[in-house]
Amino acid sequence: MALSNTQTATLETGSESKVAGHFKRNRFAYMCGAFALAVGAALRIYLDTMGFAVGTDYYSEEFQTYWMPLLYGEIIVLCSFTVILSVYFWMTRETDASSISKELELSRYWRLLGVFTVMGIWAGAIASNAVESDAAWHQVTIRDTDFTPTHIIIFYFALPFLTAMLIPAFIWTHTRIPAYMNKISLPFLAVVVGILMIMPNYGFNEWGHTFFYAEELFAAPIHWGFVFLGWSLFFLVPLAVQLFTNMGRLIAETTAEDYKQHSA
Amino acid sequence: MSQAQAEEVTEIEAKRRLLDIKSLDNPKALKLYRRFDGILILVLFTFLTLGIQIQFTLTAGDWDYWIDWRDRRWWPLISPFTLLLFIGAFTYGIWYRLRLPIIATAVTLLLCLVSWLSRYLNFVEFANFPMSFTFPSTYIGLAILLDCALAMTRSLVVSAMIGGGLFGALVYPLNWAFMAPYKVPVEFNGTLMSVADLMGYEYIRTTTPEYLRIIEESTLRTFGGSVTPLTAVFAGLCGIVIYAIFLYAGSWINGLDKYAKRIV
Repeated sequence: MALSNTQTATLETGSESKVAGHFKRNRFAYMCGAFALAVGAALRIYLDTMGFAVGTDYYSEEFQTYWMPLLYGEIIVLCSFTVILSVYFWMTRETDASSISKELELSRYWRLLGVFTVMGIWAGAIASNAVESDAAWHQVTIRDTDFTPTHIIIFYFALPFLTAMLIPAFIWTHTRIPAYMNKISLPFLAVVVGILMIMPNYGFNEWGHTFFYAEELFAAPIHWGFVFLGWSLFFLVPLAVQLFTNMGRLIAETTAEDYKQHSA
Repeated sequence: MSQAQAEEVTEIEAKRRLLDIKSLDNPKALKLYRRFDGILILVLFTFLTLGIQIQFTLTAGDWDYWIDWRDRRWWPLISPFTLLLFIGAFTYGIWYRLRLPIIATAVTLLLCLVSWLSRYLNFVEFANFPMSFTFPSTYIGLAILLDCALAMTRSLVVSAMIGGGLFGALVYPLNWAFMAPYKVPVEFNGTLMSVADLMGYEYIRTTTPEYLRIIEESTLRTFGGSVTPLTAVFAGLCGIVIYAIFLYAGSWINGLDKYAKRIV
C-alpha cells in the first residue's frame, strides 16, 4: 500500500498546502554550511602558508605579527557570537507553548536539523583537516608555547566554534520547541557539556606538556581527557531518538489533513 | 494519576500510534520522513567521523601514523581495542532502535576515508612526510565480520563473542598485504633492519624517543615469530571484553533519552 502510493500519488506541495514550506530546501543549512566551509578553507590556507614560514618561534617578531592577532580575533569573534546569540535567544524566548501551531513546531525542527547539518559539516572539516595537523606539526617542531599555529586554529577556533554553535542551539531548542520547553533534554545537554569541557581539559593538557615539551606521543595518557569528552558524542543516538520520535509524530499529524483531502 | 486519567492517556497514545502507522501510506509524510533520514545520516556520520578521529588519534594514532610503529605486540592489540570501544557504544543504540547492523562498517569506513584525506593534507602536504611512510591501516574487513556476526545471529552477546574476537585477532593478517614490503630485511651500515626501520631512521621525529622505549623493547626482537599469534589471541580476548563492556555502556546511554525538570 505504502509503496504503490509513493509511486503513483502526486504530491500536493502547492502554496495552498499547510505544509508546503516543509518541502522547500533548507537554504539556511546550505548558506551557513558553505560559509563555514569557506572559513575553514581560509584558515587552512593560512596555516599552510604561514605555519612553518613564521610560526615556529613564539618569541619572534613575525609570530607576534602574523599569529597572535589571529588568536585575539578568534577569541573576540567566538565569545561575541556565543554570548550575543545566547542572550538574544533567551530574551526572545516563547512563553506560551500552546500558541505554537504544529506546522510552526515542525518547521522549527527542520531549522534545528539545519543547524545540526552545519555543525556536522564543521565536524567533518575538523576531522579531516584539523586533528592530525597538530599531530604532524608536533612531530617536526619543538613546542615553545601553548599558542602554536595549529593550536590557534584547532583549540582556539575549530573546536570552540562547535561549542559556540551548540550552546545557542541548545538554548534556542529549549525556548522554541514545545517538546523541550520547561525541561531539559539530557542527551542534548550531555553533547553540549562534553564538547564544552574540551576547553578546560585543554588547559590540563597544556599544563602537562610543560613537563615534556620536546617529545610528542599522541597516545599519551595526558591526551585521554579529550577521548573521554569525545564520548559525549555517544549521546547523539538518544538525541536522534528524541528528535525522530517527536518529528515522526508531527509529520504524521501535519500531513494527515492534506492527505485526507487529497484522498477524497 | 487517577485511573480515568491513565485511560485517557492510553487512548491518546493509541490514537497517535494509529496515526503514525497511517502516515506510512501518506506520500507527503513519506517524503518528509526520507528528508529527515537523509539529514540524520549526514549529521550522525559526520559526527561519527569526528568522534572516531579524536578517539583513534589520541589512543592508537602513533601506530597508525608511521609504518615503523606497526609492531607485532602493541599495534594489533591497541587498534582493535580502541575501535571496538567506540563501535560498541554506538552499535547498541542503532541496533536496539533501528535494527541496523552497520555501525562497525560505517565507523571503520569513515575512519579510512578521513585518515587517507588527513594523512595527505597534514603529513604529506603540510609536514612533508612521504605517503608511503604515513598511510593508514585498514580495519574495514574486520568490521564487516563484526556486523555480519550481528546480522546473522541477531544477538549482541553472540556477536560480541564471535565478531569481537575476530575483530581483535585478525588485524595483522588483514593488513599484511600492505605491510609486507616494509618488513623486507635490509643491511644498513652493517646492521640488519627492515625497510620500515630504515625509513624511521631517516625520518627522526619527536616521537622517536617513545619509539625506542615502546617498540624497540627487547622481547619484541628476541621472542621469535610467536609474538604475532600470541598477540592476536590476546587481542581477540580484549576485543570480546571491551566490546561487551561498551555495548553495556551503550545500553545505559540509550536509556537516557529522557528529559529532566532540573539538573541540580
